[in-house]
Amino acid sequence: MQKSKSEELIKIKRDLKERLVRELSLEDIKPIDIKDDEILFGEGLGLDSLDAVEIVVLLQRNYSLEVKDIEKGREIFYSIDTLANYIYENTKSNTPGP
Amino acid sequence: MAQKVDLVKKRGNRLGFWFFRVFLKISGFSGAYGLLYVVCLYYLILDRTAVSASMAYMKRRFKTHNIFQRIFGIYRLFISQGKNLIDRYYVLSGQGEFDIELRGYDRLYALLNHTQKGVILLTAHVGNWQVTMAGLERLGKTVYLLMRPEDNIAVKDVLQVDSKKEKIRIISPENYLSGVIEAMNAINQGDIVSIMGDRGYGYDTEKVFFLGGEANFPYGAFRIAAAMQCPVVVLLSAKVSAKSYFVDVSHIIEPRYSSKDKKQEEIRGWVQEFARILENYVARYPFQWFVFSDIWEENN
Repeated sequence: MQKSKSEELIKIKRDLKERLVRELSLEDIKPIDIKDDEILFGEGLGLDSLDAVEIVVLLQRNYSLEVKDIEKGREIFYSIDTLANYIYENTKSNTPGP
Repeated sequence: MAQKVDLVKKRGNRLGFWFFRVFLKISGFSGAYGLLYVVCLYYLILDRTAVSASMAYMKRRFKTHNIFQRIFGIYRLFISQGKNLIDRYYVLSGQGEFDIELRGYDRLYALLNHTQKGVILLTAHVGNWQVTMAGLERLGKTVYLLMRPEDNIAVKDVLQVDSKKEKIRIISPENYLSGVIEAMNAINQGDIVSIMGDRGYGYDTEKVFFLGGEANFPYGAFRIAAAMQCPVVVLLSAKVSAKSYFVDVSHIIEPRYSSKDKKQEEIRGWVQEFARILENYVARYPFQWFVFSDIWEENN
């Protein structure tokens, strides 16, 4: 049975939060603590540009996605919501890789 | 702190360059270099910021020298940097060339052609990078410099960096996310990204041993390389005679995390390796490292 968009997005967001905590070694933060609309860089989660490196690689390796347009990148990397939406809109199967 | 940085950046304004261009054209190297001795004396006496910033390096590199010997060493440093800029203009204006010995070129060429990915060139404020870029032209790749384009507009004009005709482009670290996405895109398309490895400019640094003390070196290049699984090629150059330089790309570091728990420790190890290579360089060419900053200072 095909999942609805909202179900898919919930799954993508959950995966993203788990991967971010793991890949960025975010100590004292659990995936469940990260809000969907929390700003990723600067404020909110407080990630920096070097953390962006890991996120870009995460998109490439797990979702086969690249971000070439910098202005578009500002929108995509704003929050978990925007990142998840980008993944959903640009992946065929909406299933993360290994 | 901002004013301190501005004074250093301004050494080399447009009028200054104009004078050197004229002397180079009229009287060749001897005239242009000769003018340098006077100009550098002016900066030695009046540019207290640059002198005090250089003193930190002089004290560590020449531990047994007295204050006068160190001041003379700073004078030599200024002259060396001035010759560097004159040489760059000499090449760009088409007045001539330098002999360039490329060390490690074949290995770098093979590396770039073995995979579709590019490399990070980790360099330092050494030698003459315009001559260096001329030496790397044979690689046939575009080189992206991660640097602030406005750091010295006169230098940028003279060196014709970021001109559409040239294969040297700038990625400003003041772009979104410090230009990291642009840098990664360049590497993914097989090009080269050049990053300074000896000054943090306020970015994240690690403390490593350098010239007998703990100094702050930026680690961003290694973090990018480890994530992208691309090599870091240490790029150093030096003037070895009046008309010749060497460009060394023989040191290649392949950053790969062996353990997620020890990432920062491994990053520190790679930065230390770079610092060790740079230390060997300044041991042989002490007056060709142009970092006018106290990198041992806690808040640098």
